[in-house]
Amino acid sequence: MTDTVKKRLIKFLVSLIIFGIAILIIVYNLRDNIVYFYSPSEIIENNQTGSQIVRLGGLVESESVVSDGDSIFHFKITDGQEQISVKYQGILPNLFAEEKGVVVEGIYMNDGRFIANKVLAKHDENYMPPEVIKSLKETGKWQE
Amino acid sequence: MSLALNYIANSLLILCLVTSIIQSRFLFKIQNYNLFSISQISAIQFLSILVSFFILIFLFITSDFNFDLVYFHSHSEKPLIYKLSGVWGNHEGSMLLWILILVLFNFLFSLSKSSSQKFKEITVAVQSLMIFGFVLFLLLLSNPFNINNENFNDGLGLNPILQDPLLAIHPPILYVGYVGFSLIFSLSITGLLTSEVDKKWATIAKPWVFAAWSFLTAGIALGSYWAYYELGWGGYWFWDPVENASLMPWLSATALIHCVVVLQRRNTMQSWTMVLAILTFSLSLAGTFLVRSGVLNSVHTFASDPGRGLFILIFLFIILSSSFLLFALKSEKINKPSSHNISSRNTGIMVNNWLLISILSVVFLGTMYPLATDLIYSQSLTVGPQYYAISITPIIILFLFFMILSPQLSWGESKLLKILNEMRYILISCLTITLLTSLYYDLFNLTEILIIFLSLILIISSLSSGLNFKSTKVIVKSNFGQSIAHAGFGIFMLAVVCNAVYSQEKIYDAKVGSKLQLDEYVFDFKNIEQEEKDNFNSIRAYLLLSKNGKDLGEFSPEIRFYSDPPTITSETSIIHQFFSDIYVVMNVPQNQESISLRLHIKPFMNILWLGVVMIILGGIITAILNRKNYRENEIN
Repeated sequence: MTDTVKKRLIKFLVSLIIFGIAILIIVYNLRDNIVYFYSPSEIIENNQTGSQIVRLGGLVESESVVSDGDSIFHFKITDGQEQISVKYQGILPNLFAEEKGVVVEGIYMNDGRFIANKVLAKHDENYMPPEVIKSLKETGKWQE
Repeated sequence: MSLALNYIANSLLILCLVTSIIQSRFLFKIQNYNLFSISQISAIQFLSILVSFFILIFLFITSDFNFDLVYFHSHSEKPLIYKLSGVWGNHEGSMLLWILILVLFNFLFSLSKSSSQKFKEITVAVQSLMIFGFVLFLLLLSNPFNINNENFNDGLGLNPILQDPLLAIHPPILYVGYVGFSLIFSLSITGLLTSEVDKKWATIAKPWVFAAWSFLTAGIALGSYWAYYELGWGGYWFWDPVENASLMPWLSATALIHCVVVLQRRNTMQSWTMVLAILTFSLSLAGTFLVRSGVLNSVHTFASDPGRGLFILIFLFIILSSSFLLFALKSEKINKPSSHNISSRNTGIMVNNWLLISILSVVFLGTMYPLATDLIYSQSLTVGPQYYAISITPIIILFLFFMILSPQLSWGESKLLKILNEMRYILISCLTITLLTSLYYDLFNLTEILIIFLSLILIISSLSSGLNFKSTKVIVKSNFGQSIAHAGFGIFMLAVVCNAVYSQEKIYDAKVGSKLQLDEYVFDFKNIEQEEKDNFNSIRAYLLLSKNGKDLGEFSPEIRFYSDPPTITSETSIIHQFFSDIYVVMNVPQNQESISLRLHIKPFMNILWLGVVMIILGGIITAILNRKNYRENEIN
């Protein structure tokens, strides 16, 4: 091995190690900040209760939306098999409606309720979040 | 009429294909065609696309629903400006715009006199090869001039969220940025082919790099400003995959502009400059691919068609593999041995290049990770904004530090102690200001204090290095563009931190006549009105804003109900004050009695945009001042 090749090899290895460590730190940080998406069936199956923030998506069940003032809303999200009661305080997005697709972000409580801190806004009334389409297809409730 | 236009437009596109083949002849060493000069053929190439683009505009303005594109994306009752923006508010039209800019750059470069004839020939040939690929794609897979045989009375309309004057100019400007890097890419390939990557190359490339970078910056900023007032979420950056797709080429382009300067001044970093040029254009292409294909689940994905994405993916693969192969073959030849001291400006710029690439990696991983898990484990997930904040903050602190230090270092060798000594007044005054203000405003987070401190030093040191104060005269120095842009970045960071710390938000269920309060501001809810407009119905709320009994203006947030296509949008209402924006969004009334209103106080927004404008201006100034600079250098 000539000197220049050796030098280059060392340079290469050192930068590889530094780069590797940086990637490890980033990925470690990434794992802490991931928000998983579940359908109502999946969330019951996995029993994802506790303090972790997750997303829940499906259709808003018809005649399930109740408001008790102070911008507090209760509604149910269904994937055709299971349903989850959701409580949310805040402004509902414009396109939030019964029997339409919705994604909420928050915490699934031990008592089976979901406390949402975000209801995700979508722009198009025919727009369906891809995750919701996927979970509806899995339960056979998807209609083209 | 429609048939004739269809025929003309398609012929023009084919004409462009033919001219592109003629132009790429230099790559294959065929020189015996001399009927027209390069710039004349480039002019034909440009005009053919320009005219077909005007035909498309004409079709949208006259609402010719015999054309599929017009039928799907326009409506006869739409205001003129949105008929116009409808031209590029869809996949096919935006591809035609993309190609228009591609040929425009080719044409402009063929007119420029900065390079030798041979260099120009090869650059135009490489660029024409790309034009050929894209026009072929347009003709075969996404022809904007497809005709239907139905007799539609009216179109389906443009998504109302896109019916916004700002969004009419956002895509063209962003595209000029993206596509501008195609020329840099062609220049790099030419440099590699001829083994001429040196000071001369950097001088030719510099104005184009800075111009493309300025447009890219402006395009991203416009998109961000649009999201700020139109989406009504109170923020200006959401780490949305599509925003990330435009940020990634920006980060690599920012590294690139600094490398080009180093190359011009010191004739070093040849390989790295080539890598960045190829990377930037690849990321720009990927940005288009990601936005337009619907691979990314995002609020921005208005037109989605994964099939077309495949073409751009293949195109991207060909470009990446062939250019890196070329690079591997030539990198030995273009690298000149160079020696520079460790405490020189080169080192500082190199370190910040690494930091920019680190931020790029963070953004890349955050954007791609959900795609990967979905493909591999079919597990859907999103990456929270916290990930970006936590990962990028430490990098930004280092970045700011080296941004302050590098311009103080000379290209040769510098003594760090001497610099510290020269900067002592700036350091002490900034430290005092930071400590006093953070005590006064109860700011005890060390990270935030550190960023504010570094940003302040950056602003002051950059401004003072660009201007020379000699008794009564102020002399603008040749690095004026750099100093404006760097100071702009300091102002931007300062505003970002203060905005994050001091933003306030409150939601009210309000009745007409009630008084709402947020911080020291009082919102007097006057009334609600319903109105019928041209292409939508609206509900408008009126609120008077006051602070300590002083009137500050009236809010009129609005909900719009569009019928073509049926959509509801919220129009935010913002009162801009010097130090903070007050921001009101209203919701669709759930019942008759009360209405949900969201009130925001967003401090330092004006200052944040000021910083962004300064960054863009700095880029433009540098692009224009380039020639003069080079002449000065030669004398030195």
